[in-house]
Amino acid sequence: MSVSASSRPTVSWQRRLYERMGVGFAAVNLVLLLAFFGLLAPHFLTPLALSNILTFASLTGLVVVGVALLMIAGEFDLSVGSNLAVGGFGFAVLLNAGVPALPAFLLALLFCALLGLINGAVVVFTGIPSFIATLGTMLAYRGIARILGGGDFAKYTGPQPVLFNVLNGPLTPLNDLFNTPANFRSVILWFLVLAVVGTVMLHRTRFGNWIFATGGHVEAARAQGVPVRTVKLICFTLTGLLAGLAGVTQFAAGASIDPLRGEGLELIAVVSCVIGGVLLTGGAGSVMGAVVGILLLQTLEQGLILMGISVQVFRAIVGFILVLSVILTTAIGRRE
Amino acid sequence: MENISRRFGSIVAVEDVTLAIYAGEVTALLGDNGAGKSTLIKILTGVYPPTTGRIYFKGKPVQITSPRMARDLGIETVYQDLALVPLMSVARNFFLGREPVKSIGPFRFLDLKTMQERTAAALRDIGIEKFSGGRSVNEPVGKLSGGERQSVAIGRAVHFGASVLILDEPTSALSVAETEKVLHYTRQAKERGLAVIFISHNMSHVMRVADRYIVMRHGRQVADYRKGELTEQDLADLVTGERER
Repeated sequence: MSVSASSRPTVSWQRRLYERMGVGFAAVNLVLLLAFFGLLAPHFLTPLALSNILTFASLTGLVVVGVALLMIAGEFDLSVGSNLAVGGFGFAVLLNAGVPALPAFLLALLFCALLGLINGAVVVFTGIPSFIATLGTMLAYRGIARILGGGDFAKYTGPQPVLFNVLNGPLTPLNDLFNTPANFRSVILWFLVLAVVGTVMLHRTRFGNWIFATGGHVEAARAQGVPVRTVKLICFTLTGLLAGLAGVTQFAAGASIDPLRGEGLELIAVVSCVIGGVLLTGGAGSVMGAVVGILLLQTLEQGLILMGISVQVFRAIVGFILVLSVILTTAIGRRE
Repeated sequence: MENISRRFGSIVAVEDVTLAIYAGEVTALLGDNGAGKSTLIKILTGVYPPTTGRIYFKGKPVQITSPRMARDLGIETVYQDLALVPLMSVARNFFLGREPVKSIGPFRFLDLKTMQERTAAALRDIGIEKFSGGRSVNEPVGKLSGGERQSVAIGRAVHFGASVLILDEPTSALSVAETEKVLHYTRQAKERGLAVIFISHNMSHVMRVADRYIVMRHGRQVADYRKGELTEQDLADLVTGERER
């Protein structure tokens, strides 16, 4: 460290801009994107398309909130998509075995939380980067999901439990307000609750303060007595739990799940966070930013579909956004 | 610390060091790279256990087995770059690990107002005027200069009742004006009755702030002098080995 450099702040203006812009920038982009598709995509500004965006963003968003907290704590979880499938298949297997809906639901969540905890334990106790560790468990958990489903679809054909409607039922009074079809579902409400609880926890509790500290400067956090390992373990477990919740909720919508369910979700989740201002290197970001991020991506997907453009194009665009943000983050890091 | 030794395999990092640190004094710990100063400090702060030897704290024998335990005893260390989280605000850093909370029903929320007020007051109290406005305790630490960061870290240790304050190279890589501030706060900590251990390479900074000089060389303590007994040149010669003891 040179003498002149040290007395200057080490948070560059680029980084501050990046953080400030985070949520606002993503929100502006969201509005622009809505306007763009509103003009160009047929049937985009209809209750059906817009409610679909909200419903599907909420389904994925359950996972995104967990991933955002985990990324702010400085870690990744690439296994969320597989874990989601485990949740869905586990729930299906239990239901078909005659377990009542509520215990089946809780058991599936518990199992997914355990898989999240395993991710955390591997990372925290071996020091393997979470990117690599969860790449491994992504494959392992996908395997578990396939074993649960026998490599095939899982369906549930029994009488529909009330829980299905609670988790992901149509919000009929709201849908009936429109004279064209609409697809507002209760998952939107759960997502909203989760986003608010996540935000309050992150910014207004000791644990939230510890998440920022752990991701921002793990040594400084430890030196001040922050239990950094516990913080990471809890964030990994929470991410697993929410992935499971998303899996069960998806299953509740159609009472079926396919073996590929959740594939590529890790990419969507990370990109949602990054475009919402969560730092790839941890220590900064917000749940609300990530929420705007997933809304933006879902809008993009829905718009492209309505324009008749292949879903693969959407994936490609998301991939490029991630690469760009990595380049940006690295450039900022180098300047510091 | 009595007869402290520490070996790493066959390497003797610290050999048979006995020294006492007193409250209300700045004790400078000097030595070249690899002289054993940081190992000695890590033993005192619970990072490494000593291979042999005993530590007494306020007259009682203690076994310091973790950094957490050192902190609970009131031994605070301010490391060069390891003290604060750059992306977090001054107030959040100040209370990191001991955040005040308010209960609302079964939930406990951060008492942000108390955090801001107490941080501003504590920093004003040790003379860091910059934070008297109340607004700037919400700025990220990354916006502060190196000297300001050291000052905040020292202020934090003083505020939370540390009795031993270890400053690890607090002035290295600081500008002249910044160094002045840090030396000033170091003296203030001493005047409040803390025992300050000041680790530095810089002889002139040491001369200006320390009441006592302890020099280490090749893992051994080779000198223990009081202020006024040595010139800056003597001190430098002791560090390099030009002068034996």
